[in-house]
Amino acid sequence: MKALILVGGFGTRLRPLTLSFPKPLVDFANKPMILHQIEALKDVGVTEVILAINYRPEVMINFLKDFEDKLGIKITCSQETEPLGTAGPLALARDKLVDGSGEPFFVLNSDVISEYPFAELIQFHKSHGGEATIMVTKVDEPSKYGVVVMDEETGRVDRFVEKPKIFVGNKINAGIYLLNPSVLDHIELRPTSIEKEVFPKISAGQKLYAMVLPGFWMDVGQPKDYITGLRLYLDSLRKKAPSRLAAGPHIVGNVLVHENAVIGEGCLIGPDVAIGPGCVIESGVRLSRCTVMRGVRIKKHSCVSSSIIGWHSTVGQWARIENMTILGEDVHVSDEVYSNGGVVLPHKEIKSSILKPEIVM
Amino acid sequence: MHCRHRVLGWIYDPAGPIKGGAKVVSLKPALGVAGRKERGIGSSSPRFASSCRDPDPRSLFRGKRKVYTMKALILVGGFGTRLRPLTLSFPKPLVDFANKPMILHQIEALKDVGVTEVVLAINYRPEVMLNFLKDFEDKLGIKIICSQETEPLGTAGPLALARDRLMDGSGEPFFVLNSDVISEYPFAELIQFHKSHGGEATIMVTKVDEPSKYGVVVMDESGKVDRFVEKPKVFVGNKINAGIYLLNPSVLDRIELRPTSIEKEVFPKIAADQKLYAMVLPGFWMDIGQPKDYITGLRLYLESLRKKASSKLATGSHIVGNVLVHENAVIGEGCLIGPDVAIGPGCVIEPGVRLSRCTVMRGVRIKKHACISSSIIGWHSTVGQWARIENMTILGEDVHVSDEIYSNGGVVLPHKEIKSSILKPEIVM
Repeated sequence: MKALILVGGFGTRLRPLTLSFPKPLVDFANKPMILHQIEALKDVGVTEVILAINYRPEVMINFLKDFEDKLGIKITCSQETEPLGTAGPLALARDKLVDGSGEPFFVLNSDVISEYPFAELIQFHKSHGGEATIMVTKVDEPSKYGVVVMDEETGRVDRFVEKPKIFVGNKINAGIYLLNPSVLDHIELRPTSIEKEVFPKISAGQKLYAMVLPGFWMDVGQPKDYITGLRLYLDSLRKKAPSRLAAGPHIVGNVLVHENAVIGEGCLIGPDVAIGPGCVIESGVRLSRCTVMRGVRIKKHSCVSSSIIGWHSTVGQWARIENMTILGEDVHVSDEVYSNGGVVLPHKEIKSSILKPEIVM
Repeated sequence: MHCRHRVLGWIYDPAGPIKGGAKVVSLKPALGVAGRKERGIGSSSPRFASSCRDPDPRSLFRGKRKVYTMKALILVGGFGTRLRPLTLSFPKPLVDFANKPMILHQIEALKDVGVTEVVLAINYRPEVMLNFLKDFEDKLGIKIICSQETEPLGTAGPLALARDRLMDGSGEPFFVLNSDVISEYPFAELIQFHKSHGGEATIMVTKVDEPSKYGVVVMDESGKVDRFVEKPKVFVGNKINAGIYLLNPSVLDRIELRPTSIEKEVFPKIAADQKLYAMVLPGFWMDIGQPKDYITGLRLYLESLRKKASSKLATGSHIVGNVLVHENAVIGEGCLIGPDVAIGPGCVIEPGVRLSRCTVMRGVRIKKHACISSSIIGWHSTVGQWARIENMTILGEDVHVSDEIYSNGGVVLPHKEIKSSILKPEIVM
């Protein structure tokens, strides 16, 4: 089986993190975002993953070689020379996706995290015999999204409604699809939207089905959702593999600590914290609802909440970092500095407090 | 902490055929700790110098085999954060100024005075630089090498790092330049003054209105430097360090391979020995490492061009003041361009556009009736019809401003679309 992951472009919403790495390689829960998806695909029997990208393939390709070797799965890049939307890339990668076996292939949006119930998806797809299956997720405010109107019992999709003004349903497209090769015949090699052009056609032919995604779902393409997504992810880990979470008197709630990280005495860590490889958390540090990326040093007595601390940064003693502060790579916050929502580009020193949310370039 | 360094560059094959300008005939990156053996450089210098250009009294020839050439070190440094968002796309030395990469202004001026080898002291992203420099090497016939710091070495440490490259046994002084500085680069006069006073080091100084903000150089009538005063509270003088030096090789004996400040540690020692001289920089001077000064610097540069090479400036009824237009740029009808504008290669300025006090980088399209002032428009961006762009707006690479948008000091990172107006100065990421 094969899969195509729509990686896309510049990842500007996740700046400043994406100024250092392309978005799929930005770590989430101590692992490059795209690795979560690739591992789940491998677990269900996918042997080849194609990444549809339109920016900076070189960085990706180097990294992916590592994954290929470690995971034993083939990874190739399909590069768009002009942005092809959400369906065009499938046409571009047609030759790789259609191998004559007739097997359906996965298409994933690279920003999506979930429990990736791919085995159930395959089973449902084969059972209804339609041409395409999309996963949908329930949301509270469907009027902001494209709603999928479906037959609750069979899952067959009736129609799509963009930002509905009246209530038509509360399931939206989760960005995870399983498609028969015949779908590629519906897609031309030009900028095309899969939700607006391709799926409506298939559903008009009564051949599009939807499956409600069990478990959590989040589009982690921007910092606020990234932080919420970590909470959901760790919740899920608590249920499925609690031994991977940290334990101890200094741990509160769900906390993921890489085995190479070091935590000092008197710290209080959690809930909803991920600490990456090579991190040093000095004594007396309080961390909550935050991600600490590889190689970061958090100095004594500091307090970090609801923030993302980028690779190889340092946070000074008694510093207070909160309210969606995002530190890019190699940012050094001096002792006793306060940051209220500062968004700091890479290779900067922060020597004075940031009193209200602002970008520091 | 001991720091390793790598000298990366291209090695000339001295045995190769050279005509009318030294050519790279083999690409042999020199990696590892720089030592003469590893770099494959013997004690005999290449013979090419004598055939590659007209005899130049400023670089000495001694016999057939031994040739002395002048060298220069340019302190490029690090991340160029002050010039973001432009430096998010290119390392600072490669950011265009007056339609030419910043560092090329300096390299050309050095070549003109007989420098044959330029060492770039960098501590970030050598790969991008190296690709680009290969082009320069070929076109200019000058050797360019990168010396990469593995830890920031300040303003003097990089000289120690590049010691082996700067000292070739000839005894010739070498230039040291700060990469952000633009000026008329009066290097010939500097060489002459240096030789005439017989001191160990000459620094160029420039006059400023508010010396209390800088490090002031206190000197006597002969130019001999008495002392340096950082941010003086009382008036001691109005000359500051212009970031252009000519140093004898013996200066290198005063510099250890560690983070060192040339202004605070090295020069004061030489001054105490009565061997440091200063020369007032004639003409303009600007540190263009941040957008406001970049824009002012362009005005000064174009003024200077008006005096020295006015034929390079644009003329016509649609031109006001000093305007530089690349030959590959296209300007439509009914435009009014200037003063103090630079328009880069491949730009398209549609009809009815007003541009003043701005830089338009390579490949930009300015659509009809737009009005831009005091701003920098980054490579391959577009500005929509009737858009108004002013007050230190800086558009990074590939930024697209929609029609009728107003930007008052917006600072926009690369690869963005601006679909609504920016009413007050802010960063758009």
